[in-house]
Amino acid sequence: MSAGASDMAPSGPRGPGWRMRLTPWLLMSPALLIAIAFFGLPIAFMGRMSFNEHVDQRFYVPGFTFDNYAAMLTDPTFSAALWTTMRLALISSIVTVAIGYVFAMLVWLKPKRWRLAFIALALCPLLISEISIIFGWWMFFPKNGLLSYALVSSGLITDKISLMYTEFAAFVGLTYVTLPFCFFILLSIFDGIDKKVLEASADLGGSPVRTFYEVLLPLTKGGIAASFAQSFIWAVGTYATPSALGPDTLWTIGYLIQEQMLGKHNWPRAAAFSIVLTSGVAVVMMIIRMLTSKRTALNG
Amino acid sequence: MADTNALELDGLRRAFGGVVAVDNVSVDVRRGEFVTLLGPSGSGKTSTLRLIGGFERPDAGAIRINGSRVDHLPAYQRDTTTIFQTGALFPHKTVAENVAYGLRMRGVAKAEIAPRVRQALEVVRLSGYEERYPAQLSGGQKQRVALARSMVVRPTILLFDEPLSALDLSLRLQLRAEIRRLHDEIGFSAIYVTHDQGEAMAMSSRVAVMRSGRIEQIDRPEKVFAEPASEFVYTFIGESCCLRAQVSAGTAADSAGAPLELRLAQPLGEGAWRIYIRPSRLHLGRTDMPNGLKARLDFTEFLGDVHRYHFKAGKLELFVDHPGAVVHKPGDAVDIGWQTADMVAYK
Amino acid sequence: MDAVMLRVLALAFTVFIIAYIAIPVIVTLVMSFNDASVIRFPIKAWSLRWYGDFFGSPQWVDALKSSVIIALGTTVISTVSGVLAAWAFERFTFAFKPVVYLLIMLPLFMPGVVLGLGVAMAFGDVSLFGVNIYGSRVLVMLAHSLWAMPLVFMLMEATFRTVDHRIVEASYDLGGRPVQTFFEIVLPSVSTGIISSALFAFVISLNEFVMALFLTTRDTQTLPVLMWLSLRSAGTPRLAVASVILAAAVFVSLSLIMVWYIRQLRKT
Repeated sequence: MSAGASDMAPSGPRGPGWRMRLTPWLLMSPALLIAIAFFGLPIAFMGRMSFNEHVDQRFYVPGFTFDNYAAMLTDPTFSAALWTTMRLALISSIVTVAIGYVFAMLVWLKPKRWRLAFIALALCPLLISEISIIFGWWMFFPKNGLLSYALVSSGLITDKISLMYTEFAAFVGLTYVTLPFCFFILLSIFDGIDKKVLEASADLGGSPVRTFYEVLLPLTKGGIAASFAQSFIWAVGTYATPSALGPDTLWTIGYLIQEQMLGKHNWPRAAAFSIVLTSGVAVVMMIIRMLTSKRTALNG
Repeated sequence: MADTNALELDGLRRAFGGVVAVDNVSVDVRRGEFVTLLGPSGSGKTSTLRLIGGFERPDAGAIRINGSRVDHLPAYQRDTTTIFQTGALFPHKTVAENVAYGLRMRGVAKAEIAPRVRQALEVVRLSGYEERYPAQLSGGQKQRVALARSMVVRPTILLFDEPLSALDLSLRLQLRAEIRRLHDEIGFSAIYVTHDQGEAMAMSSRVAVMRSGRIEQIDRPEKVFAEPASEFVYTFIGESCCLRAQVSAGTAADSAGAPLELRLAQPLGEGAWRIYIRPSRLHLGRTDMPNGLKARLDFTEFLGDVHRYHFKAGKLELFVDHPGAVVHKPGDAVDIGWQTADMVAYK
Repeated sequence: MDAVMLRVLALAFTVFIIAYIAIPVIVTLVMSFNDASVIRFPIKAWSLRWYGDFFGSPQWVDALKSSVIIALGTTVISTVSGVLAAWAFERFTFAFKPVVYLLIMLPLFMPGVVLGLGVAMAFGDVSLFGVNIYGSRVLVMLAHSLWAMPLVFMLMEATFRTVDHRIVEASYDLGGRPVQTFFEIVLPSVSTGIISSALFAFVISLNEFVMALFLTTRDTQTLPVLMWLSLRSAGTPRLAVASVILAAAVFVSLSLIMVWYIRQLRKT
């Protein structure tokens, strides 16, 4: 190893100074262009739009009003949607992390030859479009779906049953979509743990349950937090799965936004809802970031 | 043209953050010279090499290759090539493609490339390996390809960045001899960086011993060994025993104050001294020598050709190498003698 | 809780998870071969009838074409911009690094609804060279890149970090100029990373439908969008066929990559 070598700065060729400083910006220009033109500007545009007025059939009328934001406080549909979204995201995230955790732990403990198969399995939901997933469950839950048929023909129940348009179906769908992310995050955390630690615990007299609580759980805390965050943030912004699989009253903010834009053509209101949703996501991200950095500080 | 030096370093200086890695280094390398930069880690030898190669820019000073200044030129415009510690072969290219790379970059005619590559591989004794990939080569073979790749371009200066450190001992000795042979055959100019003084001594026209960014001494290997310019150079090159003695009122004592049976031909003045002698120049049981010390045998080590006798005199520790069967047992008081010319003393 | 009990639980869970993940897949696959005109279990007759129906319907085939075109476009755009940006981050120091990082990565965490809405609103009235941008496929490609590019960027940043900087220096040392070095030495050594992230970009774009819903018109709608719009009136297995075809497109590209990857491994 070259001792006394360069500091943090990478050792690129030190040509004339200006070219060295310009190069990274040139390289990043396409990415920046896209990010600014198609994300930064639209967000700013939406921000401005949220203060516009909505009159008659036109998309929007330039103006300045807080009506759209006020509507959120006064509109019962919005506050219901807010509550629904939170509830949905929270519960589905907890379930997803729980399932993902056990799944990842199993794959980690199992011998190498099973790994590839399970990883391929875990990849499936990622490779399939959300709409296909929705449609898959669409054919499973209703009266004439596979579930009903299987239960009846195996004699477990006598009448056809439908779980379609229930909150349960919505949860099943939501969890399905976010499961792979949780699984892979947690699997990489597990892989970072030396399996001998489990042996050591057993060697010292720890039962499997004790080992889990005292050894495994603390070591994987970070993974649990990260995958929960991931799952939650995604679930907060979703609208397709709950609205398709759940009852008609299960409105999420995402659904409302879509409705305002494409259904009611009320651009300002849709923009306002979006801004609120975005801010909410940003706040959640920051909270989680603070919590996780605190945790790492404690762990040293 | 024949008189210009291949390389001139003039007051080179480079600092990283607050640390001065290269401190006013000046060296002239004549055509065909093999100069080694020798020193412990942090001595600035690698930093100096990287300045020459163009991977870092000096804060002050000048670098001249064949008489023209190059310090403003980036690495790909300098007439130097480097042999890296890990070889740094391009893993996705064959051996032949690796060796041809430099030639292609310099615009050598396509027809000329293949024969030159073949010749270069012949020189490093890897003929027939053209189509292999680096992953299929052993460590020694990789370094030889790296050598071929750097040499085929015929640069003014070859830069070696500790190329043998990552190899095991027998391989190191083998390649060391090869590089020496190549130098004798081809006569390239080179700057070689290493922390292994055996390598430096064996291969170089001149050795520059570096410490903390400065060159402590630069001279032919024999002179550096026999006439070290400073205590650091003395202790860095070869093995030595250090006798720490307090001299006061004509008597010598160790650091704890216990008197030493030390006999010196040229008495030392008052103060705390460090006396250095190479273990090969210490002799057992010789009271006839002008200098001597009486010490007690602590234990012996078997080193193959010789036994190493470890002695203690008060707080002093020293060792003597002696061939043949063991002639003393632990606890024996022995007279150890040496010539005045073989000792150096620093205050 | 003894060992046997744990083993049983583990087995039960394994069965559960396999079933959970497989159900929608199996159901869709099976239903696509249903001969009947309704979605109902049990399936009485099997045929390829609905596959024929799919390929015979211009609306559906156009939607498929649209999806593939957009996915390819997204892949090119996001891979190029992501790779270049990741290289800039890895090899250079410059001011405002955290800000740029945030700007590139933030869209990845934004709901599709918000991104789609934003682009639709901002570019709804805009026309370039006399052509209305809204509804154009290019716009969708760019919107999809908002998700795909950060992913490529993240993956490539990690990949570039594994590049042995010594070989980059060796290239400079031998006279290779920076641009040449990038194409001849750096890119080949990260080729696997590039292909993987390109694949991700392709799959993301192919399957995405929320943003596409906001940004496409009847002429340019993608397959997932058409599927979503047809959901309420979905009485036939046609949607099942569409799902299978969409998944097939993904698996075909996956296998192509695997073949290429195995060829690469043979080299070493």
